[in-house]
Amino acid sequence: MHRVLDAVDLEVRTGSAVAITGRSGSGKSTLLNLLSGIDFPDSGTIELDGREIGSLREPERTEFRRLHVGFVYQFFNLVPTLCVEENVRLPLELNGVRGAQARRRSAAMLARVGLGDRLQSAVDTLSGGEQQRVAIARALVHEPSLVLADEPTGNLDEATAGEVVPLLRSLVSARGATLMMVTHDRALAAAADRALELREGRLYPVS
Amino acid sequence: MSTLWAASVRHLLGHPAQLALALTGLALGVATITAVDVATASSSRAFELAVSAVSGPATDEIAGGPAGIDERLYVRLVGAHPRLAFAPLVEGYVAVRGEALQLVGVDPLAEAAFQEESAADPTAASAPTAASAPGAAVVDSLAGLGRWLTAPGAAVMAASTADRLGIPTNRPFQLDIDGKARQAVLIARVAGQQAGSETLLLADIAQAQEWLGVVGRLSRIEVRAPAGAAGDAELAGLRSELPPGVELEPAQQRSRATLDMTRAFTTDLRAMSLLALLVGLFLIYSAVSFAVLQRRKIFAVLRALGATRLEILRLVLAEAAVLGAVGALLGLAAGIGLGRGLIALVSRTINDLYFVVAVNSVSVPASAALGAVCAGILTALTAALLPAWEATHVTPQLGLRRSELESRALGLSRWLIAASAACGAAAGAIVAGSSRSLLAGFAALFLLLISVAALTPALLGASARLSARLLGRASPVGRIALADVAASLSRTGVAVAALALALAAVIGVSVMVGSFRESLRDWLRGTMRADVYVAAPGPGFGRPERRLDPAVVAALASVRGVSHYSARREVTVSSPRGPVTLEAVTGAQDSDSGIEVTEHQGSVWPAFARGAILVAEPFAWRLQLHPGDRLTLGTAAGPRSFAIAGIYRDYGSGAGVLMDRAVYRRAWGDDGVSSLGLYLSPGVTPREAIPALYAAAAGRQALLIGSSSEVRALSMSIFDQTFVITRVLDWLAAGVAAIGLTSSLLAWELERSRELGILRALGLEPRSAALLIEAQTAFMGLVALVAAIPAGLLAAELLVTVINRRAFGWHIDFHLHGGELAGALRLALIAALLAGLYPAWRTARAPVAADIREE
Repeated sequence: MHRVLDAVDLEVRTGSAVAITGRSGSGKSTLLNLLSGIDFPDSGTIELDGREIGSLREPERTEFRRLHVGFVYQFFNLVPTLCVEENVRLPLELNGVRGAQARRRSAAMLARVGLGDRLQSAVDTLSGGEQQRVAIARALVHEPSLVLADEPTGNLDEATAGEVVPLLRSLVSARGATLMMVTHDRALAAAADRALELREGRLYPVS
Repeated sequence: MSTLWAASVRHLLGHPAQLALALTGLALGVATITAVDVATASSSRAFELAVSAVSGPATDEIAGGPAGIDERLYVRLVGAHPRLAFAPLVEGYVAVRGEALQLVGVDPLAEAAFQEESAADPTAASAPTAASAPGAAVVDSLAGLGRWLTAPGAAVMAASTADRLGIPTNRPFQLDIDGKARQAVLIARVAGQQAGSETLLLADIAQAQEWLGVVGRLSRIEVRAPAGAAGDAELAGLRSELPPGVELEPAQQRSRATLDMTRAFTTDLRAMSLLALLVGLFLIYSAVSFAVLQRRKIFAVLRALGATRLEILRLVLAEAAVLGAVGALLGLAAGIGLGRGLIALVSRTINDLYFVVAVNSVSVPASAALGAVCAGILTALTAALLPAWEATHVTPQLGLRRSELESRALGLSRWLIAASAACGAAAGAIVAGSSRSLLAGFAALFLLLISVAALTPALLGASARLSARLLGRASPVGRIALADVAASLSRTGVAVAALALALAAVIGVSVMVGSFRESLRDWLRGTMRADVYVAAPGPGFGRPERRLDPAVVAALASVRGVSHYSARREVTVSSPRGPVTLEAVTGAQDSDSGIEVTEHQGSVWPAFARGAILVAEPFAWRLQLHPGDRLTLGTAAGPRSFAIAGIYRDYGSGAGVLMDRAVYRRAWGDDGVSSLGLYLSPGVTPREAIPALYAAAAGRQALLIGSSSEVRALSMSIFDQTFVITRVLDWLAAGVAAIGLTSSLLAWELERSRELGILRALGLEPRSAALLIEAQTAFMGLVALVAAIPAGLLAAELLVTVINRRAFGWHIDFHLHGGELAGALRLALIAALLAGLYPAWRTARAPVAADIREE
C-alpha cells in the first residue's frame, strides 16, 4: 500500500490563508480531500472548529461539506446547463435557502465578484477568468468557514490570475473564513499568510 | 424550479437525440403492448356488441343444435308463459359485396313487444344494450310494417354500412349466402350510431329462413324474464318443458364461452408484446446510464458541494420517471394507432380460428391504457435503478476514474455469470415444476433470455481479450480496437447484452415458427389425401348454414373422372363445457383418411364406428380430456355422453371433436355436407377435373373448388398471415435493441473521444477511425450472435414444447434450418453496423485538437 500522507501535523488559524505546494503526486489534492471530508484518513484526526471530521459518517460528512466548505477548482467545474446566477445559487439551495432570498444573495455575491451584469449568461460564454470568478462566488455564497482552492490559477493566464487571486483572498478574508490553496505557483504561495511544501508525505515550511 | 432540477431538465433537453432514443425505445415497448391490447379488446368488444345488438334485453336464450329449433315451439311457449317475453331469431352469415355481415331474421311484432315490455317493466333484469336491439331499429325505421312483410327480399342495415358498401335505398342488391346468390332490397337504413349494428343485416324472419334454407326452423329464441324468484320459477318451468336437444341458458353465456376460446391466443400475443417491453428496458437502462455518464463530473461537483446521495438518487429516478411517463404516453398514442393496424391481423386470425367478427371501432380499455402507462414508468424506473445507484456512488472529487469504473464492471460481469446460471436454473425449475401454466412458461422464457443477457458481458470481455491477443500480432490498431471493447465493458457489455437478448428472441421465435410451419406442412400432406376439395364459401368455421346443396353433391359425384368422395359436416354443438366445434366425417378409419391418432385407448377405429369420438389435441388440452374419458354433447335427442377413443393431431382447423358422419346423422338428424374430398380416377388430373366440377355446379351454387395442392398452399398462406403479428413484434424487439446499441456506442464514443483523438493525432486517417468503430461494432454483433444462438435454440425449444403446448395444446416437431440462423446473423451484423454508423461518422469528423485538449 502506498502511503500518500504520513504524519502530517498542521494547525491553521481561523481566517488565515495557507498555500500548499509540492510536486505532482505529492498528495496535495488528497490533503484537500481529507480536509473537506471527501476522503477520510486511515489514522489520525482532522478537526475544524473543534469538530472531528475524520470520524464522521458519510451523510454527516456531506452535511459538513455543504455547510462549512467552499470549493474553487482549477477547471472551474461549473454546471454547464445552469446560468451564472443559478450556479451560484446552487449551494444555497442545497443548504435549504430558496426562492427570492437565494436569488438575492447569489446576485449580491456575483456583484461582489464583478459579474452583476452577467447573471443570466450561460457559463460557457464566459472567459476563463470570469468562470473562475463565478466559481469563487459559488464557493463563498453560503458563507463557509473553510474555502479549499485546488490550483485556482492553473487554468488562467498570468494577467487574469493576477486579478482573480486578490479577489479570492479579499473575499475570504472579509468573511473571516480560512483559505487553503493547493498551487504550483510559487508567487501565489508566497502571497499567502503561510506557505507549506508537501514532500514525501510530510509538510515543510517553504523557505 | 430548483437549480438541481433545472440542471437535470436542461441536460435532457440539451441532448435531443439522446432523449429521442430513450423515448423511442420506451414508446415502442409500450406501443406494442397497447397495440396488442387495443387489437384484442376491439375484436372482443366488436363481438360482444354484435351479440348484444342481436340479443337486446334478453335475459336468457333457448338454443338448439345445428338444425336449430322447430318454430312451433316458439308459438307454444308464447301461449304457455305469458309472464315471459319471447323473440324468435334466425341467424347466419352472408356476404355483401365481399364483406361478411350477420344476417338476423326477426319478427318485428314480437321484437317490438319484447322491447316495449322491457322498457315498461321495471322488474326486468338489466340488459346490456336494449336500445340497440334490432327489433327497435326495425320498428323505428319503417314507415309501415306492410312493406317489411310483403316486399320480397326486404332488408335493413345501418346507414353507415349501406354507405360503406354503396347500397342505395329501394334498389336491389345481391347477397351471397353459402355460395348462392340471393336478391335483396334495402327498404330502410338505420340512422345514428347503434353499437354493434354495423355488422348486421336485418330481414323478416321468414325471409331469413328462406335465404338460409332453414324454413320452419329458428336459430334461437330470446327470453326475457322478470328479475327475482318469480322469474327464476318461470324459467325453471320453461326449462322442464323444452324438448330434447333444446336448451335454456343465460343470455351471453354462449358468447362468453366463445370469447374464452380466444384467451390462449390473446395471452400469447400479450406475452410477445411484453418481450418488446423487456428489450425496451435494456434500452432505457442504456440511455439513463448514458445520461449519468455524461454528468459524472457534474454529480461529483454536486456531491462536493454537499448534495446527498439521496438527492442524486431522487434526481436520476425522477428523470427516469418523467422519461417513463412521457415515453409511455407517446407509446400509448402510437400503440392506439398501431393497434388499428393490428386489428385487421388479429381479427383475421380470430375469423380463421374462432368466430366471425367485423371490427369497425377501436376500443381502448381504460385498464389497458393505465396498465401501459404504469408499465412504461415502472420499466423506466427499474431500468434506471442501477445507473441511479451508480450516480450516487460517484466520488465527490472529479468523478470515478475510468479504470475504477471498468474494474467494477469487470467484477460485475463475473457476478453476472453466477446470476445467469441462477436464471437458467430457475427457468428449468419453473418448467419442471409447472405442467399447464402458460404464465409460468413465459416466466421461464423471460428468465432464459435474462440469463443470456447476464452472461453476455463476460463472454464479450473474454472473447475480446483473446481476439486482441491473437490479432495484436498482425495489427496494433486491431489490437487497440478489440482491447478497447474488453476494457470498456461498462458500456459495451450492456449494448451487446441487449442485442444478444433481441437476437435470442428472434432466433427462438423464428425456429418456433419454422418448426410449426414444417409440422403443419407435414400434417397437411398427411391429412389431405383427396385430389380435389369442394366447400361452400362463407365466413366462420362450423356455421351450419355453410353446406353443399344435396343436388350439387350428387352432380359433383357423378362428374366423369371422380372415383369416389368423402363427405364432411362441420357444425358447432353445445356441451356443458361450452360450444364445441364438431366435424363429422365419412371414412375416417380408411388408411387414406390421413388422420393421425397421437394418443388412444384400445382399438380406435372400431370404437369410432360404434359411436366413440376423437378429440383434437388443442381441444383435449384445453378441456383436459384423455382417451377413455367421456364428453357430453347436446344432440337433437338431448345431452348424450360420448366415449373418447383417442386424440388426433390437428392444426388450425378449429375443430374439437371428430365423429363418424353416420353417428352424427343419427344423433342430430342433420344430413348436411359442408365439404367434400373428391378422389379422382387414375389418369385424371385435378386440372382436368376442376372445370367439369364447376360446370356441374353452375347456376346452382357457387363453390370453392381447389386441388389439394392449392388448398395446402392456401392453408400455408393463412398460417403465414397468422404469424405476421408475431414476426412484426419480433422485429420491433430487434429494432429496439439496435437503437439501444446505438445509444451505448455513443456513450462509449464520448468516453473514448480523447483516446481516438490521440490515435488520429498519431496519423490514423478519419476513414480508418470510422472503420475501427465499425470493426468493433461488427465484432460485438458477432459476439451477441454467439451468445444468442444456444439461448435462441433453447428459447425455441421452450416455445415449441412448453409455451405452444400450454397456449394452444399443439404438439409441434422441432425443425431447424440454417435459414433462421442465417437470418439472425444478418440481423446481428446489420444492427451492429447500422448502430456504429453515426458514432463512426462522428469520430471521423471530430476535431482532433479539441479531443486531445478536452479534459
